Parts: sequence; C-alpha cells; structure tokens
Amino acid sequence: MSLATLAPKLKTPAVILAILAIWQGAVGLFEIREFILPTPLSALEHLFLPQPDANYNWMVHIRATLLEIGLSFVITSVVGISIAIALAWSEASRKVSMPLFVFVNSLPIIAIAPILVLWSGYGLKTNILIAFLVSFFPVVINTLAGLAAIEEELLDLVKYLHGTKLQVFLKLRIPNSLPYIFTGLKICSTMCVVGAIVGEFIASDRGLGYIIINSQYTMDSPPIYAGLMLVSLFGVSLFGLVGLAERILMPWARRGVAEK
Amino acid sequence: MSDDRKALISLRNVKKVYRTRDTELEALGDVSFDVFPGEFVSVVGPSGCGKTTLLKILAGLLPHSSGEIVVESENFDIEREVGFVFQKPLLLHWRKVLDNVLLPIEILKINRKSMVGRARELLSLVGLDGFEDRYPNELSGGMQQRVSIARALIHDPKLLLMDEPFGALDAITRERLNMELLHIWEETKKTILFVTHGINEAVFLSDRVIVLTARPSRMAASLDIDLPRPRSQEVRTDPAFGRYALEIYKGLEIT
Repeated sequence: MSLATLAPKLKTPAVILAILAIWQGAVGLFEIREFILPTPLSALEHLFLPQPDANYNWMVHIRATLLEIGLSFVITSVVGISIAIALAWSEASRKVSMPLFVFVNSLPIIAIAPILVLWSGYGLKTNILIAFLVSFFPVVINTLAGLAAIEEELLDLVKYLHGTKLQVFLKLRIPNSLPYIFTGLKICSTMCVVGAIVGEFIASDRGLGYIIINSQYTMDSPPIYAGLMLVSLFGVSLFGLVGLAERILMPWARRGVAEK
Repeated sequence: MSDDRKALISLRNVKKVYRTRDTELEALGDVSFDVFPGEFVSVVGPSGCGKTTLLKILAGLLPHSSGEIVVESENFDIEREVGFVFQKPLLLHWRKVLDNVLLPIEILKINRKSMVGRARELLSLVGLDGFEDRYPNELSGGMQQRVSIARALIHDPKLLLMDEPFGALDAITRERLNMELLHIWEETKKTILFVTHGINEAVFLSDRVIVLTARPSRMAASLDIDLPRPRSQEVRTDPAFGRYALEIYKGLEIT
C-alpha cells in the first residue's frame, strides 16, 4: 500500500491522536488537578497497572461490558427486525401495537431502570433489557420504512406469476429494505453501548459503567477516563463493524457508488 | 391468419370500468378478439385507451368488469405460462443479471439449478453474453430491457405480453431492439401480444394489428398484415406497408 492510498485512511487516527496530545499538553500547561481532569496517559496507565496495585481487574470488567454490548446488539437487531416484519405483514398488528412501541420508546428508560432492577435483579439480564429498550425503536422504524418503500410496479412482477405474500417479502420487500435496516442497525449499535453502560450504572457490580460510577464515589478520576475511552472505542468499533457488514452484504450499492 | 385454427385465447366483450364514489371511468370498452398460437399481435391506440389495462387483465393483475376471457387451448395454463415485459425494465437492483432472469423460476418454485443453463442461453439470445454477473445499475436502459425480456421468457411461457417495452428508449435503440424481438420471436415461436403507440412499429412487427380508439375505447379495426416473413427493413418500402399504416391512421382518426 503506497503512502497516497494509506494517507486518507490515517486521517481519523491522526485527528484522535491530535486531540489526545492537546489534552495531554493542556493539563500540564494549566496545572489542572488530576481529580478534575487527569492526563490521557495517566488514565491509560491505569489499564496496565499490574494486580494488586490496580484498583480494578480491567479484563473482567471489559469482558462483562463487551458481552453485554454484543449480546444486546444481536438480540435487539434480531428482535427489532422481526417485530418490523410482523408489523409490515399484518396491518391489524401494526394498528394494535405501533402505539405501544411509540409509548415504550417515549418513556425515559433511564428513569424506569430502577423498576427494571426490581423486576429482574442485578446483572447481565437487566443490562441487556435496558440496552434493548433504549435501542430497539430505530431498528423497528427503519426496517418498517424499508419494507414499505417498495416500488408498486415491482410487486406486479411477483403477482402476475401468482406468487405468495411470503415470496413478496423474501424476494422483494426484505432485500429492498436492506439499506434501511443497516441505517437502523448503525443507530442501534451506538445506542446499545449507551444502554449497556446505563445498565451498569444502576444494576451491576461489574463492567466499565460500574467502574465509572464507583470511581466517581471515590473521586478516583483516571479510571473514569480510561473507562470512557474504552467505551467510546467499543462504540466506534461496533459502528464500524455494521458498516463493514453493509459493504459486504450489499455489493450492488458499492458498485453503484464506485461508478458515480 | 385463418379462423378455422383454434385460438390460444379469446377475448369476448371485455370491459373495464373504474368506479370511484361518484364517478365511473371506462378504461376499456368492449374489446373482442382472438389470439392464435404463434401469432404476433399488436394493439395500437392513443394514450389512455386502456392498452395497458388490457394486458394487466390478461396477466391476472386486474379484474375485468364484464365480458369473458376464454382460454381456448387446453394445454395453456394462463396462470403459469404468461410472460410479461413491462414498460420499465423493473429489475431488482440487488440481484445480478442472471439472478434477475431466474426470478420467475423461483416464484413458480421450479428447480433453479436446472434452469441456469437456459437463463444463460436466453441472455445470449438477447445479446447479453458475458453480462451474467453484472448488476442492473451497470447496464444501459436498452440492456436492462433486454434482461427483462430474457426474464419474461425463462419459464417458457406460451404467451408473451409486452407493454410498450421500448417506449422509453431512444429511436435507434428501439429500432434495433425491434429487429431483435422479431429474431427472438422466430427462434422461440412464442405468441406475442404487443402494446404500442408506434404505428410503423406495429405494422413492421405484426401478423395482425388491433386498433383501439380513444376513451371510451372501442375496436376501430383488426388488420391482418400480409407482408413477407422473415421481415427486414426493406419491407418498409413495400407499398402495402404504407397502405397498412394508412389504415391504422384512419382507424385512429388521424387524418
């Protein structure tokens, strides 16, 4: 790979490094105290302190958070897309349950999280439930829009050969909705991270959210920032993975763009 | 075409009326004609005379309001043995050309593998050798319409319905595709019902031309085109060609 093709790909990392460098410099220059704002290096240093010097066993917490984000993203995607297909399939189901979904989505999930803890206890299950409730709606709404966005005339193609409603969905509506589904999944990918962390604030004794909230009690700032950096790294990575899947699963869109 | 042969399909006083709450719109008024096996029949008429409606009724996409459509031939299954070429190519942009051609096979639940070879042959017949793995957005409008013709032929339909298939293309591409269509028709021996508002196009292609008047549409004429086959561009210089075209102009009351 030559420098010319490599350069555009390095733009984002370069910007991130620049921000970290300014942060590092500013903390030293303005003599900001560590509990207000630690330097990025001292924050990151906490990740690599050997046990028992480190306040937290990071690997355990990272694994817990990754598991929650991963599971909640997969569950929310599958359930969200399924709900949308069911709603698109039957107008009756849409009329009955759409108001319910809007209602659930307009609840401040963070505010009802304590209730969810009372119902399903501490830990993984509750965190996934919170992440699901925060992030399922964009998946449902986008998929539903995609399923409805089919050109009427295309339906004639299946109809004149006396195809079934199932064939209309499998051959036309679902493939046609893929770009919309991926838009929904991209929003979902970042919302799942938010949901998992909020869940850990309230209903967990492990995970990066737990570290952040626990370190705040003890005014131990560097782990908070280390946790934040990891959380945003996970969010960006998941978003990137969805984008990659989109490129792989929709080659026609890629070629179309390349032509224009 | 002699009437003692058995028709493939017979339309008897077929009418289509669109009803809204307080108006009635007669989209197709009282059309009767037969289509014989292997025949190339064109339907010519002004915009809004119900030509497309007629094809959609035959394809089962629209119900007719009155009259009868009789399948005369006992080995013609009108639900499975019709191919439709629409005004627009209507290709599925997420499918490669070959997979677009195979769509009817999947819908009719025919074994896909056994038809891949046939799909390739058809693509070759419409002049698209080597384009099997392209996506529709990589093809020109004319090429896309060729794919849709291959798609309409893949399940070996007895009757091919074509709704102004070349109407959206430029004149030169259109003439070229007309020649190719004749070639395809001669190769495949299909019965073709071809809707157009091109008068010369209809004479050039057809065994018979049905002329419909403007709304409320009636059949103005059914014209046997007795010109030699296979046809080449020279046929346009035949005095009979001009006389047939004139008959159609008269039928359409363009004088």
